[in-house]
Amino acid sequence: MKKRLGYFSLPVAVVLGATLAASTGFAQVIDTARIDAGGQNDWLTYHGSYKSWHYSPLSQINTGNVSNLAVAWIHIPGRSTRGLQSMPLVADGVLYYTGSYSRVFALNGATGEVIWSHFPELDEALISRQTHSPYNRGAALGEGKVYVGTMDGRLIALDMKTGKVAWDTKLIDSQKLTVGFTGAPLYAKGMVIIGAQGGEWPGRGPIFAVEAATGKKKWEFLTVAGTEEAMKTWGSDSWRTGGGGGWMPGTFDTETNTILWGTANPAPLYDWSGPDYKTQGARPGDNLYTTSVIGLDIDTGKLKYYHQELPHDAWDFDSAVGEFVMLDRDGQKLVVHPNKSGYIFVYDRNLKVKNVWRITHNSNFVKDIDPKTGELIGRRDFPAGKVTEPLCPHISGGVSFNSGSYNPKTGLYYKLGQEWCMTLEVLKTTPVIAPQAQLNIGANFKIAPPPGGEIYGHLDARDPVTGALKWEVRYPEPPLGSVLSTGGNLVFVPDSRGILHAYDAESGAELWSHSDGTGHQGGIITYSVNGKQYVAVTAGFGGMASDDYAPTFGGVYKHMPRDDGALIVYTLK
Amino acid sequence: MKLNFGMALPAVFAVSLAYAMPASAQQASPAPDSAHLDVDQLFATTCGWCHSDGGREAGKGPQLMNTARDDDFMRNRIKNGKPGAMPGFGSTFSDAQIEEIIKYIRELKPHQG
Repeated sequence: MKKRLGYFSLPVAVVLGATLAASTGFAQVIDTARIDAGGQNDWLTYHGSYKSWHYSPLSQINTGNVSNLAVAWIHIPGRSTRGLQSMPLVADGVLYYTGSYSRVFALNGATGEVIWSHFPELDEALISRQTHSPYNRGAALGEGKVYVGTMDGRLIALDMKTGKVAWDTKLIDSQKLTVGFTGAPLYAKGMVIIGAQGGEWPGRGPIFAVEAATGKKKWEFLTVAGTEEAMKTWGSDSWRTGGGGGWMPGTFDTETNTILWGTANPAPLYDWSGPDYKTQGARPGDNLYTTSVIGLDIDTGKLKYYHQELPHDAWDFDSAVGEFVMLDRDGQKLVVHPNKSGYIFVYDRNLKVKNVWRITHNSNFVKDIDPKTGELIGRRDFPAGKVTEPLCPHISGGVSFNSGSYNPKTGLYYKLGQEWCMTLEVLKTTPVIAPQAQLNIGANFKIAPPPGGEIYGHLDARDPVTGALKWEVRYPEPPLGSVLSTGGNLVFVPDSRGILHAYDAESGAELWSHSDGTGHQGGIITYSVNGKQYVAVTAGFGGMASDDYAPTFGGVYKHMPRDDGALIVYTLK
Repeated sequence: MKLNFGMALPAVFAVSLAYAMPASAQQASPAPDSAHLDVDQLFATTCGWCHSDGGREAGKGPQLMNTARDDDFMRNRIKNGKPGAMPGFGSTFSDAQIEEIIKYIRELKPHQG
């Protein structure tokens, strides 16, 4: 009996502790104020807090002891088709994360024991006809629920304590439009905000707000011609098949009651207009509000302000990828937002351009972007036919959807840049909307190295406002995972080969590394349970950018599964 | 039922050339009766996302030019896809149109010059 007690007592206590922690007796309500404060033990929203810093002040793991970092526990979600791409969340000692097919898990943050799981029943026949599928990039927490989007166009709320479905709201006719939700939702002020996939699909790219308490749709904003002003920027009714969307979570500006969101590109990706894009081609005009950052009133969904980063985007460099880094600098409240092109935009809180800088070394889709106005200088708009000079960067972008990290202790922004180009031949296409919408690319293309060099990626430590470079670390293949920085003066980078690196945040010196067994392209966070700090990272390769790695780089990528994944959690030995 | 589904989409592809609207905006035209498929344009619209350079080079998906796969394999793959890698187009293309895609793949040659 004693042996039996000894065997069972610890795990039961731990599970009970975690369950209690997640209950109302121990856990605090997750509301807007708590997410805004971003308590140091937790990771309550995709970008860490509404500041979108991807930073934690935790310092138990630091430059002095990171060499003692070791695996504490792992969790295998199963059915990780196209890898594991999500950002874990932690509240009151419980870790929540999602896998492919919108699987959701609640785990004891100290031990990894499963508290509950939820595998939604999905329209698998639809998913088998989708291209950008079935990965999921994360959940949202708020008001005692976990929120997750699905590939068949639904937003689901689960009870945080039990995993039981609280509500399940169908938002998109995915059977017709093909697109669904892969991005994480955002909880703020009693609302759950989520943006549809879009871009290259002929649709109008909606962003939705749903009441957290009831699941009732509150408003919908169409990123394609969502206002009368915008409708005028789509010649020849091209707004009907314009693309758009908002496939990654933005953030909430608590001071102005505004949702900030980045929107996707228009379709077709590559227009054959040539330089007269205002009047010629597939979609004459600026194509508002695609490839833009927009500010929406959270209560009404009305557009308050916007900046179109790339008017008439003809390169698939959308604005949906970037985080909104909220900063106070010299009495100014600023927002830093990376565009997929590799240009980093600095705005005031009304999205007025304050500066623009570039993280990539190889870029020629424009000659430059005016840092004062954001105006594109020397843009390349292709007519139909073969494009002689390769286009840089590649369609996968100068940056991708993986987030950077701002560290208030060093004042540096740690962000990954990607150096690659592409050859292309632009062709006239016709959007396909029946019986089911199909991709509309507008070109044949192929990945290519930058002129006179090789493809590579780099972690930059820069001033987020001026772009001034302090240090750089290079990788033979662009890393596709998110970056984490901490109060322990550390920067963590999960790379594409499967190595998790820890660097000194001041110098960039590598202090520790460990193999996670397969490539990374998801999230990384840190949190604390019962006074002990953990680092959690998702591993598992496959998807839009990473599917190019095996044919392009060979090597380890030829042997890397694209249907596997794990959550790996580290702590000090 | 399958025939109805199969006719609609490829017919729209064919429209782009048949209606030849030079320098005009994209329009999702109603489907005419023609079942002809412009496969070259189909690759620039959809397939080229993964099969680079019109299928001549490997991309996210394999190179199709000079493939060693037989017609039955390709027929099945186009219809049913491969989970996590390629969507199924069985409800999109008719059998005749899938044969046109296979014919296009068999006739693929490197670009000249």
